[in-house]
Amino acid sequence: MLSTDLRGNILVIRVEEKRIDASKAPAFKEKMTQCIEAGQNQIVLDLSHVEFIDSSGLGALVSCLKRLGPRGSLAVAGATGAVSRLFTLTRMDRVFALHPNVDAAVEQLSA
Amino acid sequence: MVSSISLSIDSDLDKVSLLARAVRALCEDLLSPEDQDAVELSLVEAINNVIKHGYHGERGKDVQVAVGLQADQVMIEVIDHAPPMPAQVLDKASEDAFAFDETDLADIPEGGMGLALIRMNMDEVEYHSSESENRLRMVKRIDQRSR
Repeated sequence: MLSTDLRGNILVIRVEEKRIDASKAPAFKEKMTQCIEAGQNQIVLDLSHVEFIDSSGLGALVSCLKRLGPRGSLAVAGATGAVSRLFTLTRMDRVFALHPNVDAAVEQLSA
Repeated sequence: MVSSISLSIDSDLDKVSLLARAVRALCEDLLSPEDQDAVELSLVEAINNVIKHGYHGERGKDVQVAVGLQADQVMIEVIDHAPPMPAQVLDKASEDAFAFDETDLADIPEGGMGLALIRMNMDEVEYHSSESENRLRMVKRIDQRSR
């Protein structure tokens, strides 16, 4: 479901699923939470493989953000199409920094 | 042109994407990709609500979807036999769900967004309950200019 890559102190998490919906959201949230509990607080979430997210998936992301707390960062990379539109429609683009790709997100977090 | 089809799944969240992809494919020639996204998301949110809140996650219950393809609109009905949703729940759902304070982590919603998304993505949304069933009727009008 997720693959990870540590770049300096930034953890890049790539979602390997095409859909994060109500059937996948609980497992997604649990795996993300494990990364956060392991001490990672600078995270880039690569959504470039994801074609569809529903409100359960979005809620799981918000839950991870809350778990990270105000000192952590959760940036989103590679959201396109329906995924990108969901962030805009729900105004979650004000909550998550959206970047065109992982490199841009990592660069922003490292700055 | 009017054609209609009925599809049904068991009340299992794992099966929702199958139905959503089927309905999206039915709309492919009628709607722009953005409007297909809107219909797919609305349908998924509607079925999730039925399974999670109507049937409380219990499997083995019936979820039916009727799709009507017309010259000027796509009509989708989600039909279930769960206890009905209180009428005011749909009336109150609006884009206000997303009028949160983004600087306050606690204020950002983790749930309760589904019906608001349906209302924002569809042109008409109505809910009817009778003794035998509940029907959520959603309409997406076909924008002739975008085709």
